[in-house]
Amino acid sequence: MSAVWRASRAAVRRRRLQTAVIGVVVLVSSTALVVALGLLDIASGPFDRLFGQAHGAHVIATFDAAKVSGAQLAQTAHRPGVRASAGPFPQAVIEVPQSAASQSLGMEPGPLQVVGRADPGGPLDRLDLFTGHWATGRGQIVLALPDVPGLGKGPNSPIGKRIQLPGLPPLTVVGLASSVSETAQAWVSPHQIAALHPTTYQMLYRFDQATTARQITVYTAAATADLPSGSLLAHQSYLALKAQIASKPNAFVPFLMAFGILGLLVAVLIVGNVVSGAVVSGFRHIGVLKSLGFTPNQVVAVYLMMVCVPATAGAVAGTALGALVAQPLLHQVFTGADLGTVIVTPTIASWVYATTALGMPAVVLLAALIPALRAHRLSAARAISAGSAPGGGRGRAVQRWLTGVGMPRPVTLGLGLPLARPGRAMLTVCAVLLGVATATLATGLSATMVSYGNAVEGAGRAQVIVDRGEARVGQTVPKHGDTAAQALLRGLPQAAHVSAVGYVNVRLLGQNQEVTIEGQRGDRSALQDDLARGRWMRGPGEVVASGRFLSKEGLRLGDSFALAAADGRQQRVRLVGEVMSGPADSLRADWTTVTALAPGAQASQYWVRLIKGADAGTYMKAVRAADPGLYPSAKTSVNAGAVTVIGSAALLTLMLTVVAAMGVFNTVVLNSRERRRDLGMLKSIGMTPRQVTVMMVVSMAGLGLLGGILGLPLGVVAYRVVIPVTEHSANLTFPDRMLEVWHPGSMTLLALAGVAIAALGAVLPARTAARQTIAQVLHTE
Amino acid sequence: MTTEDISGTARAAGPAAVPRREVVRVSGLRKEYGDTVALNGVSLQISAGEAVAVMGPSGCGKSTLLNMIAGLDRPSAGSVRVHDEDLAAINETGLALFRRRRIGMIFQFFNLIDDLPAIDNVALAAQLTGTPARQARRRALELLDELGIADRKNVYPAALSGGERQRVAVARALMNRPALLLADEPTGALDSHAGEQVMDLLLDLNELGQTLLLVTHDQRLATRCASRVVTMADGRITGERTLERSA
Repeated sequence: MSAVWRASRAAVRRRRLQTAVIGVVVLVSSTALVVALGLLDIASGPFDRLFGQAHGAHVIATFDAAKVSGAQLAQTAHRPGVRASAGPFPQAVIEVPQSAASQSLGMEPGPLQVVGRADPGGPLDRLDLFTGHWATGRGQIVLALPDVPGLGKGPNSPIGKRIQLPGLPPLTVVGLASSVSETAQAWVSPHQIAALHPTTYQMLYRFDQATTARQITVYTAAATADLPSGSLLAHQSYLALKAQIASKPNAFVPFLMAFGILGLLVAVLIVGNVVSGAVVSGFRHIGVLKSLGFTPNQVVAVYLMMVCVPATAGAVAGTALGALVAQPLLHQVFTGADLGTVIVTPTIASWVYATTALGMPAVVLLAALIPALRAHRLSAARAISAGSAPGGGRGRAVQRWLTGVGMPRPVTLGLGLPLARPGRAMLTVCAVLLGVATATLATGLSATMVSYGNAVEGAGRAQVIVDRGEARVGQTVPKHGDTAAQALLRGLPQAAHVSAVGYVNVRLLGQNQEVTIEGQRGDRSALQDDLARGRWMRGPGEVVASGRFLSKEGLRLGDSFALAAADGRQQRVRLVGEVMSGPADSLRADWTTVTALAPGAQASQYWVRLIKGADAGTYMKAVRAADPGLYPSAKTSVNAGAVTVIGSAALLTLMLTVVAAMGVFNTVVLNSRERRRDLGMLKSIGMTPRQVTVMMVVSMAGLGLLGGILGLPLGVVAYRVVIPVTEHSANLTFPDRMLEVWHPGSMTLLALAGVAIAALGAVLPARTAARQTIAQVLHTE
Repeated sequence: MTTEDISGTARAAGPAAVPRREVVRVSGLRKEYGDTVALNGVSLQISAGEAVAVMGPSGCGKSTLLNMIAGLDRPSAGSVRVHDEDLAAINETGLALFRRRRIGMIFQFFNLIDDLPAIDNVALAAQLTGTPARQARRRALELLDELGIADRKNVYPAALSGGERQRVAVARALMNRPALLLADEPTGALDSHAGEQVMDLLLDLNELGQTLLLVTHDQRLATRCASRVVTMADGRITGERTLERSA
């Protein structure tokens, strides 16, 4: 074994460049692999992880307290299939008037679901009490809010606010908590809930199996089978919540997964190419070892060890680097992936690191084993001759033809070079192909996502957004009424268009769940241009909604339905358009539709489009001066989602391009080593260093062009696959104009990107080959 | 066979014509590789039309001297002038152009490109200068014809005999009508019959005015082809003698 080790160590030392290339390629590939696998891991289960940590409830069941007792409900914990349960918790729905809602941030006018619980822990639905303390006494309430900065402390914090409800003693906010299962909007102590006149009980269940809606329905029915008929009023599956809250990160997941898969392929391919090339180029050395008395197995062991040393070092370093790179990248990707009331902090699972650190050397070993086994079978003499230069006879007809082509000879010689090693050339083409496919996919997705982000954010339309001040958050109330404020803003210098936006909560007639109408008044040119299909509303009775709303309600464009306000007013509306994205419980309508349902509705925000060349800062000063109760802010034209997509796409593309270029680099190193005698001869007959460089770069540029031409359609196909998956998983709808992302000019550039990748990888070793001293090699065999 | 047919070099008046133009002047040449001194104060002149053979044991510096004259390597000290051009003053690109114009090289192991047939191996030297392929092939065919292997023009090196390969290499060396033909052990890898053929060829070339510098171990080659023999040992020139060529 010591002879094998010594020979391996000597081989590593003698082939420093080769060893370094293997190490660096494996390092970069491992980094890409960590990012790719990390993406796949996090994208596939952020909710499940949090849900498991918080012991989330598979089902939140609501029972009629008039028909079933708490003792009867407690018995359901022992029914078959119920793994764990919590409750019964008395539950009340109280109506929060506008006056009470204005007293505290986080309170909205309308119904408030309050649950009586003795503590935030328990077997299920462990709440994250991130601020304050639990409501243990009378007059105390804990609000369900997300753990966002500034909410726990400061002047806007709800902690300590007193909420005055009609006919009830005041409640003081003593804590803020979040529930991954979204079991309530507020919690009070069991003593306090009695004062709120609860009419229902809440039971939380976790079942043995709950991966499908059918399983949940079956187990819920089994758990409540012995209860009085009609006592189960409603039950909410966690699957609906999961689908709803996972939609934001899901928008990025399909394309990140595509990058992950491409990264995986490129990494494995390049490592295979580099390692097998290293072994093939070492055939001569293998022959020498055999002639010295090394057994075939020892020779194979030498070569496997020779590549495993840099590969292992590269894999370990690459995994560590991947951890450094992937964590902030993924954090950025998933920032704002708000899981309802819980904020996700992505962490990469340990299996990702273990798979990379162990899997990459395994790939290397496999890639080395195949040519090493070939060397195992060769006699010493044949191994020596096989390693000296590529065998002739390949692609000679093409080379012959190239000789007569009217191009400079270094160019035609370069074009013919890859034919001598078709296998290596094919792997190089594949690497470039995947690099170009990645770049194509990245540019396509980036263009679509930028276009989408701009449309959704209204980039380039409104420069200033003005909010009406609210007393409950300590702001000054505007002096001007709603329409007067809009007129004021329109009348200020530099204003071109002002659109007012207000919100009203209504219900679809016959349904309990609330729907928010976003009413728009004034010129639309200041608002987002995010219509995907159909048209914008032109008058009363017309609404526009997101695809999510349409699928949830089972509606199509052209369908009509009735909306009902809290006071019983009704308005029949017709769906005339679909916007690209939006909540499942939101509609957009003309202001006349809003006032038909809520005559007293007021706008809360004004979108201001300024004249060309106007200064937003000057306009905002004018607004503040005109009415201190109006709060202007500059509208950013940057869409965070688009930035994330572009940033991550650019990083991943760069990473994969570098890996692909390194594959080319390695091919040129191997070729120039194998061809050193030919290079020497060419120099001896007057080939200049520049001509040598051109020849070697062209030898790869030809492959690069081929890879580019083949990679372009592959990237387009990947785009065509990823976009519908994105639309489906994130409930987005992209209009056709956003999918027309490539033009003849850009496609030509992308095809030439293969040449650029190849040239990038080839130029350095080509220059080295051009400068190397060849005197010695010409005089010896 | 005429001078123009093969080498294209302006024919010298013959071996006896004096004074002849100096083609190579090596002065005080020294070359070190680390601690090893490969050449130590070598001086040598070669006139147009001369055939000089450098002989000596392995490692004496013969090939190093050849490399210096061809501009394939640079001296540590001293100078090399070929056709009055100081090679030390020329950059790498200039040296490549110099070799293209002035030098033809023949190697022991031929150094032909395996993937090109004989005619394209020969034409390559002209094509590097920008000569169109058709014209370069025409000239290559003429040379192959003069060297008696025109019928092997489309054969790849692997299928040629050793002698044929060396003839192809000679044709390639002559392609750009070099002022100086350098040959490093040109018969070293050939059997005696092929070696004889190559010797005849070199002799013919020299008699037609081609200046030759041979590096060889082969006493027969030296006495047959060279008009002057320079012997080397330990990086120095240890002897020099003018020969009457054997027939």
